[in-house]
Order: sequence, then structure tokens, then C-alpha cells
Amino acid sequence: MKIFLLVISYLVYAAFWGRFISHAFIWCKGTRQFRTGPLHISGVSLSLCLVTAIDLLFFRRLFNENKVLWIGSWTFHVSFILVILRHLNYFFYPVPSCITHIQPFGLVAGYILPVSLFYLLAFRIAGRKKYFSYHNFFLLGMVLLISLSGLLMRMFFSPNLVDVKSFMLGILTFRPDLLPDSSLFFIHFSLVLLLVPFLPLHIFAAPVVTMESGRREAGLRMVIHDK
Amino acid sequence: MTNKNSKFKKNKSPFSKGLTPLQLIELDACTQCGECLKYCPVQEVTGNLAVSPPEKIRMFREFIKATEGLKAKLFNPKDIDRKLLEEFTKAVYECTTCGACSQNCTVGIFTQRLWPMLRKEMVRRGLGPVGTQAEMPGVIKKTGNPYNKPPEDRFKTWFPDDVKVYEKADIAYYAGCTGAYEAQPMVRGDIQVLNAIGEQFTMLPPEEEVCCGFPLFITGQHDMLEDLTRRLVGAYKAKGVKVLLCSCPCCVNIMARDWPVFYGKELPFKIRHITQFVADAIKHGRLHFKRGLKERIIYHDPCYLSRGVGVIDEPRAVLRSIPGIGLLEFERHGLNSRCCGAGGAARKVFHENAVAIGRLTIDEAVDKGADRLVLSCPACYVKVNEAMQGHKKQIKIVDIMELVAEIIKDKNTEFNSQESK
Repeated sequence: MKIFLLVISYLVYAAFWGRFISHAFIWCKGTRQFRTGPLHISGVSLSLCLVTAIDLLFFRRLFNENKVLWIGSWTFHVSFILVILRHLNYFFYPVPSCITHIQPFGLVAGYILPVSLFYLLAFRIAGRKKYFSYHNFFLLGMVLLISLSGLLMRMFFSPNLVDVKSFMLGILTFRPDLLPDSSLFFIHFSLVLLLVPFLPLHIFAAPVVTMESGRREAGLRMVIHDK
Repeated sequence: MTNKNSKFKKNKSPFSKGLTPLQLIELDACTQCGECLKYCPVQEVTGNLAVSPPEKIRMFREFIKATEGLKAKLFNPKDIDRKLLEEFTKAVYECTTCGACSQNCTVGIFTQRLWPMLRKEMVRRGLGPVGTQAEMPGVIKKTGNPYNKPPEDRFKTWFPDDVKVYEKADIAYYAGCTGAYEAQPMVRGDIQVLNAIGEQFTMLPPEEEVCCGFPLFITGQHDMLEDLTRRLVGAYKAKGVKVLLCSCPCCVNIMARDWPVFYGKELPFKIRHITQFVADAIKHGRLHFKRGLKERIIYHDPCYLSRGVGVIDEPRAVLRSIPGIGLLEFERHGLNSRCCGAGGAARKVFHENAVAIGRLTIDEAVDKGADRLVLSCPACYVKVNEAMQGHKKQIKIVDIMELVAEIIKDKNTEFNSQESK
């Protein structure tokens, strides 16, 4: 089982990057015609940087569109990132101080994450008459299961954390160690492996598009107005 | 058999060819949140989710994945079902390309530009355009306009007899095909107002004022665009033009955004919408109204004027300068305006959608208690007038320059230009 999980881990890791790199190649292959057409602004101003930073950090566009969805979505993303950062604890030895400092926040985020996921699922189910993305449902469900299994380990069925850490470090350093003796950990880890190949590419693409849309909107008044 | 094989090969060929790197990233950036559906006019009247922005993006992503994704590279590209491609083609052409989805996209995808490029890909694959749109290149080649009307009649029926057009001038006026052949009160109004301002202007002869290329661009048929652009730019350059005026938002859009691309460099003149020129004339006292109009009017922002080139304040400045007028606003106005149904060259093929969307605008204008609905786009003018035929709610429809011309042609109106003459 240990070898099987290891092989799967490396395959998933390779597939993730393979998928990303293959998409990056597709992105680069695009035509160069029309590249200059829609943009009428060059350079970067401080106000544009600020707007872009707010767009990216606080999902301003989503906030303007739907505040009910924004609460759930922003909370989910922030708590998800904090939980991931907290988990870096298991990948480093010695643990960098910044990761140590983030632990309390990550811990709180671990409780908030499933709440935000339930909220998002409820929002999606309530609005399913409009548009129904099965992929989004699958992703939300997966992350919810992962977060719940994580929470159960944290609250009731804690695995041996030393074993967990040596197992994770073993994977990273290509020196496989024993799988921790916890079926909940096995489920948690397997679900993470299952999730990774399905991670949406918008986690890379959306920030680029949001930044570009800020530039485009700032340039709109310059298309046929005097600069 | 050969034909079948070639189709087979075509359905396996890459889909990303005609898109820019940013547009390819935009396809992947869609989070499928579905928030844009609230603003899609086609959704509003059909409820057909296949036409919805996230579904179109999802389908196109699937096409790319099947032909160029990691699996396709490692093994064999999948052949995409022809029926699925045809369904996608219909969906992408049913869209009015109004860009309301783009304006309200939670990540900021520039769909007003993306949809025409997806259409171009469908044309490349022999699946688009749809219906009569396919006849446009041949018709434009023959007559210079997409309506198959005689080029010599372009200005005949509407151009005022008492207006002088100069051979050469700093300012040129481009009427546009829809205005010249289908929305004559609008272009007549443009000329009357320009004449009242008193600035010398030039125009191309009717046979030389060919299509700006927008109908071809928007339907994904790009072959003739460079030629049309070079012909028009060259002709205006020869007349020494410094500012090219036009009242059609679609023409203005392609002139400002895409002509430089097809021309290969910056244009030798500026592009301006007529309301910009008239607002400036009013501001600087070159045009003023002695007579007013005691009416409540409501102004509809054309998609390609507001979201397309950012002209929002000037039409309102023109209207507010008319004494006595009460200007009302639609719930969705400015950058967020609702399409009138005429956009994206879909109005002839998906006529029922266009009429239903047009009626939403009429209904809101009537419900707001407006006496007149003021438009600023020839395509809107044609379609909203059509939508009103047989509709239970009725309202006077007028183009912005038609309205201005109507007020200034009053005998008691005093013009600076007349004084100088």
C-alpha cells in the first residue's frame, strides 16, 4: 500500500505539472494578430496597481456582482490558502518561522473552511436553475470531504503527527517512510491525490485575466477620447 | 469519402489557432460561476443555457482539450462530433456579442472580443457563419455594402439638398451602410447637425464609401478586412482628413480598435463618434438651442458605444443641453446597458430573439414614463422600430441626432454658423 500510494503521489504530481505545462504551451501558441487591438493603455500607474491588487486580493469584481456569493467564495479561498500554508509544516524540517507564525490562523481557517464550503454548496443548489457546473460541484464536494476528514483528525482521531511528517518528508526526499497507522489519514491523503488532477486551471489563469481587465478598463476612455 | 475524411481531419485539427495567448488564458480563467447569465439578453428571452457564456466557454475548452490537451498529445487527438460542433456554432452565433457578460464577469474576461474570435474559428472550420451571413462577403465585394443595395443609391434618398460637402476638409463624415440604407432619418440628422455647426466637412463618393468591415469581423469572416480598411483609410488620407466622424457605434468600434491592426500602423486621422463632436460644439458655443422640448426622454446606450469605446457622457451632455428636456435612465445604463437585440449580426438570423430583446427595452422605457426613446445606433434604430410593430406598448423612437436636428431646424433657432455665413 505504501509503495502504491507513493507511486500514485509522484504520478499525480507529474500529471499536475504535465497538465499545466501542456496548457501553458497552448496559451503560448496563440496568434499574435489582434494583440495590440483592444488595448489603449501602456505602462502601469499606481492607481491601476492598487485596483488590480484589490481585484486580486478581495475579489472586487465578484463583490460588485454578488455579495452573497462573494462572502462564501472569498472566505473559502482565504481559508483554503491558510490551511495549505499551515500544512507546509509537514513538508519542511526545520520549519521556517513564517510557517510557524501562520499555524494559529491556519488552525482557525481549518474550522471555517468546511463552513464556507457548505455555504457555497447551498448557494449553488439554491441557484441551480440558472447554471449548473458539475465540475464545480465535484470540486466543492471533494474539498469538503478533505476538510472534514482533516477536521476529524484534528478533533477526534489524531494520527501520530511524527509519523505523518516523516511520511510526507519521505515522499519529498524520495526516501519513502512508513504510512501512518490511521485510516482517516489514508482517506484524507488519497482524496488530496484525487483532487490534484482536477484542480481548475483558473487558479493560474484568472489572476492574469483580472490584471489585464484592469488595464483594459483603464484604457477604455482612451480608445476614442483624447489622451 | 474524400469529403468525409477531410471533415474528419478538420475536427481533429487545433482549435487554438485563431486566438491570442490572452484569449486562450481567458478560456481557462472562466470559473463557471454563472453570474454573467443575469445580464445576457439572449438568456433573458430564450433561457437556452447552451447559448450562455460559461457553457460556450466550457464547450470550446473541451474542443481544445480533445485536440490539443495532454492526453491528445500523448495518444491521439479525439475526433469531435460534428453535431456538437454545429450546436456550438449555432450558440456562438445566436449571441448578440453585446459584452454585458464581459462587463459583469467576476474575473474580467473580455467576451465582447472573444466571441467574434470563436466565430472566426468556426468559419475556418467551415461551420460558420449562419444563414444569410454567409452571403455577406460576396455581396460586399459586389456592392460595397452588406444589404445588396446599389452603391450609387447610398446617399440618394436621404442626403439633404441644401448641404454642401467639401472636396477636402479636416473633418470627414462616414455614414455607414446601416444608416445609409436602413436608418436614413438618423444619418440625415447627422448631416443636418453637422451643417448647423458650420464646420466644413468632406465625404467619400457613394461608390467609394464601402463597408467598414464590422459585419464581416463580427461574423468571423476576416478575409476582406485588410482590403476594405486600406481602401477607406487611403481614401480619407488622400482628402487630408484629420478627424473621421461616424454615428454608427459598430463602425466606430472597428475603426478605432481594429483598423490600425489591419492597416498595419496608427491611422493618419482620429476616429470620433458624432455625439463627441456635437457635445464639443455645444460646449464651445458653436451650436446652441433656442427652442426647447418639454418632454421626458430616455437614452439607450448602444453596447459598442458604451462598453465598446467608452462614449457615455457625451450623448447625455447633448441631450441635457436641450432646454426643457427631462432625461431618464434605464435601470441598466452606461457600461451596464442592456442590448437592444440587434447586435452581433444576429438580428437577421435570430429575428425572434432580437424582437423579444428589443421589446424589453421598449417596455422599460414605457414603464419609466418616457415620452421618447432616444437611440444612438442604426442597428438599434432598425430593430427597436421593428420590435414595436404589433407590440402592446408603444413609444416614439428617435435617433439622438434626428432629435437634435428636429429642434434646430425650427425657424426661430439661431445658429452661430448661420450668422457667420
